[in-house]
Amino acid sequence: MNTTKQAVRTTASRASAILLVIALGIGLFGLLLLAGNKGRGPLETLAGSVTSQVASFEKRLLSGDSRASRAAALAWFRPYRENKLYLNNTDTLLVGAYDNNTVESYERIVALEDSLALKLPIVQFYTAWGSKREQVFPMLRAQAISDLGSLPLITWEPWLNDFDPESFPRTGPADQVNVGGLRAIAAGRYDAYLDKWAQDAKAYGQPFFLRFGHEMNDAFRYPWGPQNNKPADFIAAWRHVVTRFRQQGATNATWVWSPHPAYPNYAEFYPGHAYVDWIGTTALNYGTVAPWSKWYTFSETLGNAYGELSTYGKPLMISEMGCLAVGGNRAAWFTEALTDLPLKFPKVKAVVFFNNSNDVTTTYKALDWSLNNDKATLAAIAQALKGWQLPKPAPAL
Amino acid sequence: MGLAVLVVAGAISMVRLGNWWFRPEHVASWPLFLLLTFVFWWGLVRTLIVWISYLRIAKPQRLPPAGGRRVAIFTTSSPGEPLGMFEKTLAACARIRYPHTTYLLDDTQDPRFRAAAERHGAVWLELVGLPGAKAGKINAALARTDEEFILVLDPDHIPFPNFLDEVLGYFEDARVGFVQVAQAYYNQYRSFTARGAAEQTYGFYGPTQMGMHGLNCAVAIGANCTFRRTALASIGGHGIGLAEDLITAIRIHAAGWKSVYSPVIVSRGLVPEDLGSFCKQQLKWARGVQEVLFAELPRLWPQLSGWQRLSYLTVGTYYVSGLTMLLFLLIPYLFFWFGLLPANMDFLEFLGRWIPVGLLSLSIYLYVQRWMCHPGPETGLHWRGMCLKFACWPVFALGCLLSIWNGEIPYIPTAKRAVKQFTTFARPLLAHQALFFLTLGYVVVRRVYFTPESRLALSSADTWGMVSFAGLAFAMTVGGLYAAYQSTTIRPEDPWVGVDLDTIKT
Repeated sequence: MNTTKQAVRTTASRASAILLVIALGIGLFGLLLLAGNKGRGPLETLAGSVTSQVASFEKRLLSGDSRASRAAALAWFRPYRENKLYLNNTDTLLVGAYDNNTVESYERIVALEDSLALKLPIVQFYTAWGSKREQVFPMLRAQAISDLGSLPLITWEPWLNDFDPESFPRTGPADQVNVGGLRAIAAGRYDAYLDKWAQDAKAYGQPFFLRFGHEMNDAFRYPWGPQNNKPADFIAAWRHVVTRFRQQGATNATWVWSPHPAYPNYAEFYPGHAYVDWIGTTALNYGTVAPWSKWYTFSETLGNAYGELSTYGKPLMISEMGCLAVGGNRAAWFTEALTDLPLKFPKVKAVVFFNNSNDVTTTYKALDWSLNNDKATLAAIAQALKGWQLPKPAPAL
Repeated sequence: MGLAVLVVAGAISMVRLGNWWFRPEHVASWPLFLLLTFVFWWGLVRTLIVWISYLRIAKPQRLPPAGGRRVAIFTTSSPGEPLGMFEKTLAACARIRYPHTTYLLDDTQDPRFRAAAERHGAVWLELVGLPGAKAGKINAALARTDEEFILVLDPDHIPFPNFLDEVLGYFEDARVGFVQVAQAYYNQYRSFTARGAAEQTYGFYGPTQMGMHGLNCAVAIGANCTFRRTALASIGGHGIGLAEDLITAIRIHAAGWKSVYSPVIVSRGLVPEDLGSFCKQQLKWARGVQEVLFAELPRLWPQLSGWQRLSYLTVGTYYVSGLTMLLFLLIPYLFFWFGLLPANMDFLEFLGRWIPVGLLSLSIYLYVQRWMCHPGPETGLHWRGMCLKFACWPVFALGCLLSIWNGEIPYIPTAKRAVKQFTTFARPLLAHQALFFLTLGYVVVRRVYFTPESRLALSSADTWGMVSFAGLAFAMTVGGLYAAYQSTTIRPEDPWVGVDLDTIKT
């Protein structure tokens, strides 16, 4: 009997020792994990800055090499690129492009330029809000564009799904985080993210276009649209974001407010002259690719919107210009759009081609907007651009 | 207790790393990803096995030897081995306190060896022309002697007077088949190679063998192992082969005997002083353990315990690290020359999951150093040992490959005196350095003259990150080449001359 008791006691003490060891082991692992989470931010910042410093160091080492430098060909644009006031009062028409295949290289942009026989002063790319590593200010990409002599146009999409719930606590279920999201932004729930982004943008140090929450008046597109938010919430969020940037000293951001022209209620979403530098608008012709679409000419797309938007006293930008090849003559569409554009739409100061070969945002299948393989269209565009009568760029106020 | 906590935390960290590693989006190319996975997890899984064996670290309860046991000491001589070394070893054997008979198993056909044996009271046995080198002579000598216990002593090992007092007691347990003790050296001060080679053994003769002892998997080492005659008889005599000691150990374990590892230093021997001799020794082992893996382990599998199977499997595949290292080294060169990347992994994400494993691994490494035979001088990071191990990857790989087609290498006793030469074993290191510089030049030229400006900034991090990775491996070759270079200037000496037996205090 006594020995049984002793055996039970031995077993119990051993079992509890094993449990204790496992508990302590898990605790130690948890501590390391915690340290890792705390250290992640600084580590990522460090890695990001090392990356961009290595790139600029290499650039400096290689500068003055025999390659024809793109930046040299864009020397005329330099005053606009370096001075926000020149940029906001531009006296010429700036052409740019977005290309989706530019993760490793901007060679596709250069190829497009070569087909059009001009250098593009604006290069657009998209980045989303969130806690992921690639959702910080895209220092390297911005720097790479600037090294090439162009100006980055960053379309900044306030998706709220990617925020780490530990650092940015949610008030409701995870799939409802975008409902009322703009009010949450305005209320300061994402200020930590905003401030960090703004500080990095300030550290970048050069002007750049920042197109925040584009197509906010389209209820069928992005979660920051009117299906989840009231127009007043958008205005409050926009003003809050701009104010945070100003407080951080990130005055190099040039704010592009960019509604969708198909819904004529955009005035309800306008944050006010003091908060907007440029007005952007979309001009995408989907042709007959979907039941809801039909072939619109550029003039039909921009049509009424131009009449109203040109009265805001801000330079206009066609921030996404594109035409699918289904349902009409693409070359003719661009010819109609671009021929005499400076005369027909004098407030338009920038045109950015939407050269996306894999657009999956609107239809169940990927749409190809890219021009690189469409020789006829490229020739038509080049022809139209050649006919533009623009004053010689003379940056002045 | 502290160790168990570290091991649990380490194991969880590995699970977390594994949970992240095996994601389909990480696969850039299936064959390469599988290779990388094999190379990376090969090392990690082995580490985990070693950690678990640490949990069983045990020191045998020392027992005083019973009186009246009959003990033989076998030491073997081969042509070309220095007589002076035998003089010292035989003199030291004569000083061993426990009554015993020393036998010199001689095939030198040199009368001075017989004279030396007789001068030191050893029995001289002439055993010429036997197959199986050292083991063949041992088996012949077993047939001509009848002592209960046999200490097999390499001639470079100078035993301490208390050697037998430390080991014989364990045989009072009738199930014990052999008793292995630690190995230490008296010439490691002589060169970088010698120090590095000695450093590599610290962990093995400390926590590693102690853990194996706890699992009844201790391995016999030919240099200074004591056997029970009946154990050797039960397996038909000492095993023969390049890894004859390991063969003997596995057979004795399979025959159901227990083994004892006692972490005491009761003899000191020689460690290779020049890189060439070290590499030859490693090649012999690398080729030899494969014999155990392919010939012995499958045959004896049913008779072994679970831990013994795992342990011999781990020992038998140790030198596969030569091949995994080769694959690791190829990664940056495949990237630069062929644009191949095995995995789409975010480096920072990897780091976040690897750092806990690395930190815990380092902690365990430092924690178990308390079980080293000389905790003071033997603790540390053993960077010389690491450099030497890195330098040996071609040797390990060669050993593995030779065993695939059963390629032969001759049994050569490890050189007792330094060989003054720049060893051919260092050539792969030179080739590696040449490849590194060539690739660096290629990368620089490509980036200065041929990379489009529009690609430069965005590809900068990948390129120079990979160059750093290659540079790290390049840096590791420097230690090995230093050892090779130093071996060309080393003065061959007889280190045993300086050993004064009167100063050995035990």
